[in-house]
Amino acid sequence: MSTLIVISILAIVVLYLGLFKAKQALLPISVLGLVAALALAIMEWNSNAAPIFSGMMHFDNFAVAFSSICIITTILVFLLSKNYFEKISDNVAEYYTLILFALSGIIVMVSYHNLSMLFVGLEIMSVSLYILAGIKRKDFASNEAALKYFLMGAFSTGFLLFGIALIYGASKSFDLAVIAQYVIDRPTGIDPIFYVGLVLMIVGLCFKVGAAPFHFWTPDVYEGAPTLITAFMSTVVKIAGFAAFLRLFSICFAPLQDFWMPTLLVITILTLFVGNITALYQTNFKRMLAFSSISHAGYMLFAIVALGAASTNAIFIYAAAYAVSSITAFAVLMLVKAKTGSENFEDFNGLAKSNPFLAFALTVAMLSFAGIPLTAGFIGKFFVFNAALAQYHTWLVAIAVVNAIIGVFYYFKVIVAMYFKDNQTKQIATPAYFNFVLGVSLIITLVLGIYPSFITNLF
Amino acid sequence: MSAPVDYLPIIMQLLVALGFVALTMGITHLIGPKRKTTDVKLTAFESGIEVIGNARQPFSIKYFVVAILFVLFDVEVIFMYPWAVNFREFGLNGLIEMFIFMGTLLLGFIYVIKKKALEWD
Amino acid sequence: MGLLSILIFVPLLFGLTILLLPKKYSQSYKYFTVAVAVIQLAITAYLYCQFQTGAAFTGVNQLDSYQFKEYLPWIRLDIGKFGALQIDYLLGVDGFSIPLLFLSALVMLIAALSSWEIKENHKGYFSLMMLLNTAIMGVFCALDIFLFYVFYELMLLPLYFLIGIWGGVRREYAAIKFFLYTLLGSVFMLLVIAGLYFSVIDPLTGNHTFNMVHMMNPQNYVPDGIFSFLAHQDILGIPARLLGFIVVFIAFAIKVPIVPFHTWLPDAHVEAPTPISIILAGVLLKVGGYGIIRIAYSIFPDVALNLSFYIGLLGVISILYGAMVALAQTDLKRLIAYSSVSHMGFVLLGLASLTSEGISGAMMQMISHGFLSVMLFFIVGVVYNRVHDRYIYNFRGLATHMPIYTGFVMIAFFASLGLPGFSAFIAEAFSLIGAFNSESVNGLIPRWMAILGSFGILLGAAYLLWTLQRMFFGQLRVKEENWLIKLKDLNVREILTLVPLAFFAILLGVIPSLVFNIINTSVNQFILLFT
Repeated sequence: MSTLIVISILAIVVLYLGLFKAKQALLPISVLGLVAALALAIMEWNSNAAPIFSGMMHFDNFAVAFSSICIITTILVFLLSKNYFEKISDNVAEYYTLILFALSGIIVMVSYHNLSMLFVGLEIMSVSLYILAGIKRKDFASNEAALKYFLMGAFSTGFLLFGIALIYGASKSFDLAVIAQYVIDRPTGIDPIFYVGLVLMIVGLCFKVGAAPFHFWTPDVYEGAPTLITAFMSTVVKIAGFAAFLRLFSICFAPLQDFWMPTLLVITILTLFVGNITALYQTNFKRMLAFSSISHAGYMLFAIVALGAASTNAIFIYAAAYAVSSITAFAVLMLVKAKTGSENFEDFNGLAKSNPFLAFALTVAMLSFAGIPLTAGFIGKFFVFNAALAQYHTWLVAIAVVNAIIGVFYYFKVIVAMYFKDNQTKQIATPAYFNFVLGVSLIITLVLGIYPSFITNLF
Repeated sequence: MSAPVDYLPIIMQLLVALGFVALTMGITHLIGPKRKTTDVKLTAFESGIEVIGNARQPFSIKYFVVAILFVLFDVEVIFMYPWAVNFREFGLNGLIEMFIFMGTLLLGFIYVIKKKALEWD
Repeated sequence: MGLLSILIFVPLLFGLTILLLPKKYSQSYKYFTVAVAVIQLAITAYLYCQFQTGAAFTGVNQLDSYQFKEYLPWIRLDIGKFGALQIDYLLGVDGFSIPLLFLSALVMLIAALSSWEIKENHKGYFSLMMLLNTAIMGVFCALDIFLFYVFYELMLLPLYFLIGIWGGVRREYAAIKFFLYTLLGSVFMLLVIAGLYFSVIDPLTGNHTFNMVHMMNPQNYVPDGIFSFLAHQDILGIPARLLGFIVVFIAFAIKVPIVPFHTWLPDAHVEAPTPISIILAGVLLKVGGYGIIRIAYSIFPDVALNLSFYIGLLGVISILYGAMVALAQTDLKRLIAYSSVSHMGFVLLGLASLTSEGISGAMMQMISHGFLSVMLFFIVGVVYNRVHDRYIYNFRGLATHMPIYTGFVMIAFFASLGLPGFSAFIAEAFSLIGAFNSESVNGLIPRWMAILGSFGILLGAAYLLWTLQRMFFGQLRVKEENWLIKLKDLNVREILTLVPLAFFAILLGVIPSLVFNIINTSVNQFILLFT
């Protein structure tokens, strides 16, 4: 709980630092504040917290784990932001503040115990992101991204809210425990509007996590938004979306699996194919990452489709692996773009010669995305598939495996460019912050890949 | 347990709302006067001078900013009414919480002033 | 830390050292690689000598009788109603893996010695080779199927880069083709592995387990498991065990490679630099054969028994098709690549017979082909390094110009075509005897397969002797004048590389019991699985 307070206060402090021209202090204070928030979050591990604020929020182990992963990823994003925001805007402090506000919304999203809090958290996060996506005021693509994101976001929030309202209508409560009890008490004869509400909530949440067929906003928004914001959106925001999704379904709707599973199954398969096949045809690295993030949403949906005791673990590991790999990919992309001015695959040509470390870090990230053994991504995929196989979704897993192979094809495009193609590019200067972030991501990816027991037994 | 029939009032309300819109639009269309118009008649009247350029130009959003800030603070103040009504029940905690709330608002207000969002020029 | 772990992780350690050493020492990397290979060769030779045979050391499906066992818990995960996920670091060797370990160490040494030709980016090359070395040793030692899979996949990456960066003109295509082919097979295998995991429990702990030795014993299967012997479950209308076997078999058949899954092999071989061709032919193909024995056959013996006819047929097709395509080649390296397809067909034919002779022959063929294909690829590398050409008709009458070289070529060619006195003769003879006897012993494969298989030897003689005649005999004539200066005879390093290979090829041809004694116990235990 104190995590949320610290982050909120931190956001205001950073805002005022910007106001009083203390630009140099922005980054250190943001990072220190987040580290403090992280420490506070971890201290609540296994404290058997009860729901607080009249059952509004519940800072249980689930919330602690997902808050921690979101905070860590945000810290990594912040470390990459050194000198980045200054280049594209004068309002640097607002950047940090908005990201921190979004993060506070995310903390609410992963620890809600009441549907109204889910809505509030989602809105705090979304509104901050609408501004962040469009923060390059003079840039057409950025404006388009912001507008698209805003319209789609508002639309999806409508679905979500309507779903919440209908569920309230049936169960007469916003409280997760009460709703769960409502479902358990009625093996038959659940009010039909409850089902309608459930489907609407699926639609709303799928919009937020960017699952097909509700993914249309993703590529344009990801491409148009500043790269660092894209990195934030495709990691922290997506993870938070899945945490909220999983929390809702595992607490409330688990007994109704027969009802919602087919719907989600179709969405999952569609998401996998749409994400992977479109990613195959991209020439722009950033856009490829956007589509690949759709397909990764598909893999994570897997664990929800096969909801069970292992789901939380599977999503957590997958999310951790996905987050660090994405951060690496975006970090390298930023450096390459700063050098060459564009984001196509050809811009990576010969990177292995000029910057072996960058190339190596990106290679490991791509391998992790593709799910090659001894990277965190493999362990994530393995657990997700295992969870699905345990419930005899053989077909589904076979489809996912086909998709994993398609994935290899486009993830290797960039490896081919870096290692097999030559280009007379000069060395790209990597700032120390970048090396730190890349190194940390690299170590996390490999350690989780080789000895995942660090986080497999958390839950 | 609520039966579907309990939602009948909501459906009625929906129908009435839709019906009102449809009805008014239909009726105005039917009973309103009909005139033949030409392009000249539809142009803006500029005292006989030819219209130059498009009227849809970017304009200063200063007013918009002020307006939205007004709405913002105005809406926040609405919170004070239910709080005031239940003031005694909330006790000291309620007072502290309202101070935190007002403090946050004040911080926002100072930020707005400092950013010179309220200065017209 | 046992010897097997040292064997596996020494190269990794040296690989990291190479990565950390500054660039100015780049000339020393190859000596590191050679040193590692020598250490490994010493370790495997020691293990080979210490290896015990007899009823107490059968291996295969008896976990206690594996030797040099090592065990560490690796991944544990509580997954609710399915108990705890249990993945172990479990190593051990039996009669099937120990000769292949020795072979791998020797091949890695040869590959290291032939890496002198690598001109650029030594650091990357040698560290990747060390990684590959680790993975290869791991595959042959792993007894936990998840660990096996990890090592198996780990082999792919270094090879992908080694072919893709240091390869020939079409290296990019060859590398990704190789990678996708193998990955396609192995990812589906992963699903079968997961399915096996849910059907098998560890008799000691009661958890589900990835231990492949436990998977070989029918009583460890839970009654309603998807791959249970008794439940006869269906997946998509096909019996689950049949499907499981086919998926695993195809995964390894791609690696062996068996016609029709062989198309990656000529491309990969032609584009790969010589040392990588050597590793591919000498070790990687054996991983496929080993996988079929250790996993496909041992875990699904009932299905393997039923499919023997088709497996034998695939073997015969590989033998004949590979040999005939080899006849048509004009690129020396491509010819040898196809001859590998043909020779590996004998492994499959011997295996399919499920007789003691046939399986011994198959194992012998893998080892013998390990030495001989390495020799052949090294021989191609010798010419290619000197003039960067491998077109057979560009060379003629080299015998007078490069006598020592021609001598080794003749040894390698004659050994490969199965001349008595060389290891390949023993291997092919045993495979064919097994296949021939099968009809009377267990009636699994008909006699005509053995007869057709022996035609393969004939075809092998044809393409090898014809090549010998085209390239080495007759009037000395090469494509360009200055080639004659470039085509120097073998230097000391090259002779030192070829001598041990020729030595082993002859040694095993004369005293095959060196191998047969070691594998015999395990082979007999293996056959018991099918009764």
